[in-house]
Amino acid sequence: MISERLADSIHKGVRQIGQIAILPDTAGSAYALCHIDDVDRLESLKKHHDPSDARELSIWAADGHYRFTKGELSLANGWLLLLEDASQLRSAIDYFYPAAVGLWLAHQAGQADVQHLRDKLDRQTGMYRFARNLSTPGAQRLISEVCGPENCCAKKILWQIDSDTPLEDSEASRFPGRLENGVESIPLLCREACNHFVAEARKASKAEADRKKAISD
Amino acid sequence: MPIAPKPNSALLIVGHGSTENPDSSTPYFDHADEIRRRRLFREVHCCFWKEEPSMREARFLVDADDIYIVPDFISEGYFTQEVIPRELELEGPTTLRHGKTWHYTLPVGVHDSMTDLLLRRAREVAPDVDPATTTLFIVGHGTGLNQNSTKAIKDQAMRIIESGAGYAAVLDAYMEEAPFVADWEKLAQTPNVVVVPFFIADGLHSYQDIPVLLGIEPEVGPAASQREVFRHNPHSLRGKTLYYSSAIGTERHMADVILDQIADFDRTHRHDLGKTR
Repeated sequence: MISERLADSIHKGVRQIGQIAILPDTAGSAYALCHIDDVDRLESLKKHHDPSDARELSIWAADGHYRFTKGELSLANGWLLLLEDASQLRSAIDYFYPAAVGLWLAHQAGQADVQHLRDKLDRQTGMYRFARNLSTPGAQRLISEVCGPENCCAKKILWQIDSDTPLEDSEASRFPGRLENGVESIPLLCREACNHFVAEARKASKAEADRKKAISD
Repeated sequence: MPIAPKPNSALLIVGHGSTENPDSSTPYFDHADEIRRRRLFREVHCCFWKEEPSMREARFLVDADDIYIVPDFISEGYFTQEVIPRELELEGPTTLRHGKTWHYTLPVGVHDSMTDLLLRRAREVAPDVDPATTTLFIVGHGTGLNQNSTKAIKDQAMRIIESGAGYAAVLDAYMEEAPFVADWEKLAQTPNVVVVPFFIADGLHSYQDIPVLLGIEPEVGPAASQREVFRHNPHSLRGKTLYYSSAIGTERHMADVILDQIADFDRTHRHDLGKTR
């Protein structure tokens, strides 16, 4: 079970995922979660006891914007989520970072089934069908403009442009999915481009087509 | 009809979600919470088209080897017939994939029990209005992408007419295809009009777009969760009295419709399940 394997990894020293500190045996609970910036002031944090509170805590960034991509480096702080067991812990983390623990475990077992960008774009239909026309240089550029911590995403990209075309070296393509603070962490993994990236790919593809048309005209 | 507990199965509720409006996914989580409370499944999860977890990520959420997928969608159309099967790699009602068995039910919106929910919502929003002087609109999106998209709404309108609820007229109308909801006062011949949005969430369409099309709001307003006061009925507009309800998917009994679809799936496909397990 995912929750048991998560508990085992914490027993072995994992203490962080994304911007969240995982604290075993804290404040009378089996586990506690808080923002990594709040670890030294647990007493002053607002306490929560329901794992589903994690959904509310992760919807809005501190500046009030809607965090529709959960790997965004904008998690609000000021809360302490107290959890009774590994099952509750796993539920709470799945609200903060959906499917991240299961994907990490599958990746360790060689079962993450990574999908490269071309396959992702080629399967789009409806209004997103046009995204497949994005050039490879355009896709490489878009990755550096949309992905990685510089663009507020904390996930490690596992995919390539296609099976023969790796991502060009950049801050986004190098990022390991773990914040570099010396704490043993579960990495946030990106096994295929997200829908935000596809939407941006559609825009970039249209811009490329418009430029070509303007030149030919 | 109540379903027997399925302690070895997972339930995966599939929703649309939104990159702009967090209220869009709230009903799906509410439906999941309600079903979790009843302890009928080993686990209950949600996944989305526009939000995380995505449909492709859903299998990393699930421990169980037997999974019921219920599209928390209104109609059989583009999403339920093309997008969801593609994203979840489904080949029919039951699919063996990634070492698990996936059962794909019909969307909630086409189930017969939705008719009672629509009538309940219509009565709640206009409790003192005589149906004989009232036109009931069931409003959907409408799209050129799939001709089936409007079928569920037309079917529900017909079932309400046949139910003997007594409305002077029950009409289907749409945001993006005829008959247009923006023409509601021309379509309705009665002094009273009740409009029930046939959407799952009080998101962009039902809370922000349709009120503009109806004339309740001059322009698209903020999301429902950012409003201090919910809209007040009735609205005196265009010579008629208009009652506007929140989206049908926010009705708490939607959890029962999800379970009804699973019960129907078992009745229809149980022989298939026996062969594939």
